[in-house]
Amino acid sequence: MANSFEFFTEAGLVKYTGYKADSLRSLLEGIESVSGSSIFYHLHHALFRWHFETGGHLNDFARWCWRQLQENLLAEKLSSVDPMSYISIHEARQDLIQHLKMHIGEVESLPRIPKGREFYFSEIKSFIIPTGHVATDLQTFYDAISRVDSYSIFYHLIEARIRMEKPENDFSVWIRDELQEYQLAERIEQLSPYVYNLYELRSKLLEMIQGRLHGE
Amino acid sequence: MANKITLDSYEEYIPKSELDTIRILADKLGKVKIQQINSTRLGGGVAEILAHLLPLMQDLGLMVQWDVMQGSPEFFNVTKKIHNALHGTRAEFDHSELEVFKEITAKNNQIIRDDFDIHVIHDPQPVGLVDTREKAGGQWIWRCHVDLSEADNRVWGFLRQWVENYDHAIFHLPDYAKDLLIDQIIIPPAINPFSEKNRELTEEEITSVLERFHIDPDLPIMLQVSRFDRLKDPVGVIRSFRLVQQYLPCQLILAGGGASDDPEGAQVLQEVYEEAEGLEDVHILNLPPNSNFEINALQRAASVIVQKSLREGFGLTVTEAMWKSKPVIGGNVGGIRRQILHRSNGMLVQSVEGTALRVREILADPVLAERLGENAHKYVRENFLLPHYLKNWLLVFHSVLKQGMGVVRL
Repeated sequence: MANSFEFFTEAGLVKYTGYKADSLRSLLEGIESVSGSSIFYHLHHALFRWHFETGGHLNDFARWCWRQLQENLLAEKLSSVDPMSYISIHEARQDLIQHLKMHIGEVESLPRIPKGREFYFSEIKSFIIPTGHVATDLQTFYDAISRVDSYSIFYHLIEARIRMEKPENDFSVWIRDELQEYQLAERIEQLSPYVYNLYELRSKLLEMIQGRLHGE
Repeated sequence: MANKITLDSYEEYIPKSELDTIRILADKLGKVKIQQINSTRLGGGVAEILAHLLPLMQDLGLMVQWDVMQGSPEFFNVTKKIHNALHGTRAEFDHSELEVFKEITAKNNQIIRDDFDIHVIHDPQPVGLVDTREKAGGQWIWRCHVDLSEADNRVWGFLRQWVENYDHAIFHLPDYAKDLLIDQIIIPPAINPFSEKNRELTEEEITSVLERFHIDPDLPIMLQVSRFDRLKDPVGVIRSFRLVQQYLPCQLILAGGGASDDPEGAQVLQEVYEEAEGLEDVHILNLPPNSNFEINALQRAASVIVQKSLREGFGLTVTEAMWKSKPVIGGNVGGIRRQILHRSNGMLVQSVEGTALRVREILADPVLAERLGENAHKYVRENFLLPHYLKNWLLVFHSVLKQGMGVVRL
């Protein structure tokens, strides 16, 4: 019999780090020095906060460069830093730094923006909360997915993998290892928050599982 | 409100699963005792939000007590000056005023309950009560509802001696925070969808308000709700309206209040009348305080809502307008730009001309107006309703009881 899957949900308390950036140079310095939790907040957690803007600039760094600095080229490059493709925050941070350094090396001046429009580095203290929903097979997994809150979907699809430095999301691992549903696990692993917002992600998950339940 | 509002009432707007998470968070706090202290039971935004929030906390089984510090007229004169100085108005304080502040604070020390685990002190007036922390024990939180970004440094320096003695400070936005040695938590405010200002209204209720103010229900309405204050730029709104009227038939409503007891407000109101002179279809409504029902009706009747502020705190009038599924055009300042995502759930503008352009675009394109309004409503529903605020508070309580950053498993 399969080991059960316990659904957790995430709730985050946002703290201001005390560090703010008013130019590309100070943004770079901030990205180099703030905590991993701050990078996580602005890069990964932003996927959740801006989930309805799929197709837009989903991370906070890209949004700030685009909105406040009008650095559209850099904003595009920073947007391409896909948090889902990294196992650790360290790797994601290094790529952000590389994009910024390259851009800073290419531009003639680094203007400062007016007071009030700075980038405020925040960080997040995450609380992982048991939801009470447990799956023992594909049907109960389907039932739980339809009942847990959006934060739970975010936690298992995105947050847990990066916090625990795992290469795959929790759902795919359990479905593959415990239910031996290899194709379904692979399809869930391909789901991207860049393509679907959180409501759509849930619908897609349900659609995929239901398809499998009906023998597709 | 006829019926008692509980967390269950919010199932109308927020998924049950999210409300369940709030219940779990409250359950896991156990028998924690929380004391909340501010300087008034009635009037003002802090008292209003505590009056809405605390019953929800108590409904979840939390032991929460709300106490109010007692001040003298002299004390409140000083704290009013402090409040203005924190907003950037330069003020001179003599030694005796600061002594009044300290004396009244000391007289109120007895309201601190030493059998409580967490003490939440709201705003600058009772900030000095932290002097009792050694005797009273527990965790201490200072909840600042004021934007400190432009604070007079001398006044801030005076208050800071107490603020640094807290365990945590909480601000609406990181923009409001200061360089402090203690943790600075960010919690945006929230609205109560069941309040008189936000509840659903019937068509008859809306029509009755329009009739009362002689507003044509068939002509598109451009509305700004705010007190008559230069930082809200009501004159700029009229100039924008003048530009819009050259292209489209519509009417402007400027609804505000507070002019009678505020010399500058009266002056701004006069400027507004002068700017509107000769213009047709402009309604300037100088409403009495607590005209919540009227504001609600005007917002619901509007075709487009403007908040063309030059400087703004969080901008709860924007939140309220967005909640009513209206396309909102806001000045690209303060908390407005934290709420409006340009062209996604509203429009951000920087000028009179830009405001006029966006109003025209929205009035000419009902599909766009509807999309912006729907997204605005959804955004507020996901982020700025009272249960979101409550959830953040529960996390704060957990956080002070479990120090450190990173991940906490409950």
